[in-house]
Formats: sequence, structure tokens, C-alpha cells
Amino acid sequence: MSPPSPGAAELSALLARAADGDRQAFGIFYQRTSAKLFGIILRILIERTEAEDVLQEVYVTIWRKAAEFDPARASPVTWTATIARNRAIDRLRARGSRPSAPLEEAAEVRDTSPGADVLIDTDREAARLNAALAHLEPRHAAAIRSCYFEGITYETLAAREGVPVGTLKSWVRRGLMRLKTDLSALPEGHSA
Amino acid sequence: MTPSEDMSGMSADETLAPSSADEALAPLSADEALAMDFALGALDRAERRAADLRLRSDPAFRAMVDDWTARLAPIDGETADVAPPAEIWAAISAEITPSLRPDPAPVAKQSLWQSLTLWRGVSFAGVAAALVAVAQVNPPAPPPVPGAPPQLLVAALAGADGKPLLSAAYDPLRGAVVLTPATQRQDEGKSAELWVIEGKNPPRSLGVIDIKDPNKHVITSDQLRGLESGATLAISIEPYGGSPTGQPTGPVVATGTLRAV
Repeated sequence: MSPPSPGAAELSALLARAADGDRQAFGIFYQRTSAKLFGIILRILIERTEAEDVLQEVYVTIWRKAAEFDPARASPVTWTATIARNRAIDRLRARGSRPSAPLEEAAEVRDTSPGADVLIDTDREAARLNAALAHLEPRHAAAIRSCYFEGITYETLAAREGVPVGTLKSWVRRGLMRLKTDLSALPEGHSA
Repeated sequence: MTPSEDMSGMSADETLAPSSADEALAPLSADEALAMDFALGALDRAERRAADLRLRSDPAFRAMVDDWTARLAPIDGETADVAPPAEIWAAISAEITPSLRPDPAPVAKQSLWQSLTLWRGVSFAGVAAALVAVAQVNPPAPPPVPGAPPQLLVAALAGADGKPLLSAAYDPLRGAVVLTPATQRQDEGKSAELWVIEGKNPPRSLGVIDIKDPNKHVITSDQLRGLESGATLAISIEPYGGSPTGQPTGPVVATGTLRAV
């Protein structure tokens, strides 16, 4: 893993303090990360009240699991975003359906910039990943984005796009394997 | 790492036939495909649950999922930030509070939560740190019915952990408050002070109370005049004899909203 950015190091330190029961540190952590996590959850669940509910659950989980966070294994932003995505997806599966959005919407570029400096690290990584996604066949990239942003199953996306599930899976998996290859060839964003 | 996992030297297009189903993906190990699908979030409910169990029991599988998660996570940078409403933090804070320690709330961009704003106001006035340990976010009270007789108002005052400390009942006709202790609490050398927060006004003291025997202290009807449903009652722990400043200076250990019954 690449060395953590100052923002990531600060977030890791806040999590470590939270693990020791420091709620003030956790409050700062919340301030720094909650808008990002809420955006992710809202994109999956669409429904605002439900997203607020999940956001609350997610932070209670982060508080309880703070001691399990290992900065050597994941960045604090990735770790928390993963908890948020997984919780939102679980909620979506429990619900069974979601308000539908067209495939194109998932390909939209970010329209607001995250205010916190802690995300600079993520931005650089995002640029790298975007470059790799841009190399993929557009429908492969679009399918990957749709699954990721909306947390929907292959079956749901296949039905929406009117293609067999096998075809869609193949698009996504071929796209992802290509992505893996390309990413390992691309220079690390912040090794310089 | 399994031997089949490392495909980085091969082109995906060579190993995976186009427009084909799962069998054509044979060079991709089943585990890596599962790790990929899980990290992407594309599994259905039962598959997710099964994969989740494996995550907990199979470190090699977990490492694959972690790899894919880290690889994909930067896409989150494309998702616009959305500031959550201020009351979410209040709810989280209440849930994670293990004790009656004061709880500094993060500065909220916009507070729909009246009491939070108020306590922050106190802090900004330099009188006290914002010591909010409020248990519940209460919806605004319905407006009183005009012409109806004044109703009995009650409030359960609970700590941030949800544990009731005291209940309060106010009878506007009698002009008296009856306080009932719900638990024992010792604060040696300190005094518990009862406050009322009405609308956007700063907290107003209703005097020092004895939590074990709260009705020993008589709250004058003058102090209670105008108390309405929706007002917040709060108890702070102050230096012996009560707040030296007329505003809460110590931790707020319980709050509750007056409701008509």
C-alpha cells in the first residue's frame, strides 16, 4: 500500500482515539467523513429517510469496530466507505427493489467536489481508476459503474438493460479483469 | 494467493471469450469471481450472505475481497458529497454514549434541532462549553388547541444512554412541578440544577434540585409561568449550590421534552 496522505493519517489517528472511547475524536471523524458516506448511501438507496437510518447504523458500527481498523490494510476512507456500501446494499437487498435509474446516470461525473482535504488522496486514486475505466469498452465500464454506484445485482441490471444475465456478467468480469491488468501497469498515483 | 488468481500477465480479452456465459470465464478462479462480485456489490441476498460468512472464516478469500475493494473504492470519489441533517449526529451520539460524560457535538452546518442550537448558543456566549448529552431527538410538539384547558405536561428526563433519570410532571392549573426520581445518582460535592429551554431562549434555571428527593426543592409558580408543551427540561451538574453564572456550566446529564398528556 502507498504511504497514507496527511488526511488519511489524521483520520486513522481519530479512529484510534475513537477505539479508546474518545467520542470527541469520533465527532471530528464524523464531521470529516459523513457527507461522503451519506452521498454513497443515498446513491444506493435513493430514499432519504432510509439513507439517514443507514448512515446512523454505519457510524455506530464504525464506533464499535474502530479497534478493528488496521491502517496497514486499508485507508480509513476506504474502510468506512466499505462499511457504508455494504450496509446500504444489505438494506437494498432486504427491501427487494429500488427506484430505478437509467444506466447512463451512473456514468455521470462528479458534480460537486468534496470539501475536505482528506479526500485528496482518494481523488488521485480516482483519477487513476478513471483512466483505467476509460480504456474499457464503454458498455463494460457503464455496467461496472451501475453495479457499483447503485449496488444492484447482475440480474437487476441485466433486466434493465434487456440483455441476458450471462452477457452482463461477462461484460463486468471482463471489464474488471482488464481493469486489474491496466491498474497494475499504471504508475501509482502518489509514488512521485 | 491461488495460482489461478494471478492473471495480471494475461490480457482479459484473451482469457475471456466475448459474449459468453460463466463457463467461458473458466480462467478466472471461482473465488476471485466471487470476491469481485462481492466487492462490486452485485451478489443477491443469499449469495451475499454466503460470501459474508466466508469472509469471516477464510483469510485468503478475505484478502481477495480486500484487494478488489481497494481497487474499486476510488470510484466513490465520483459520488457527490451530501451533508446529512444535523440530527443524525445527535442520534449517533446518543447511541454511542456509554456514560454520562459530556458530549461535545460537532458543529452542524444547519441545525434543525432546537436544543442543540441553544446549547451551542450557550457555548458561543462563552458561558459554557457545549455539553450536549441529549438522549432523543424529539419532533416539534403539536400546537396547543386554542381555548382548551391547560393540560398536564410531563417529561421523562433521560441521559444520553437513554437511561431515565427523573420524570417531571407539571400541572399548569396548580402551578406546580412534581419530580420523580427514576434512578439514584450521586454527585459528591456537586449540585444538580434543573433548566428549562423554551424556544430559542437561553436555558433558564429552575433551581438546584436533589435528584434523590427532588421535591424537597420547591419551584415557585413564577418560575413555571408560561411553561408549554415542547419546552425542554435539562439537568446539569454544577458546582455545589448551583451554577455560578446563571447558565449551565457543567455536563448536561439528562434532558426531556414536556408533552401534554
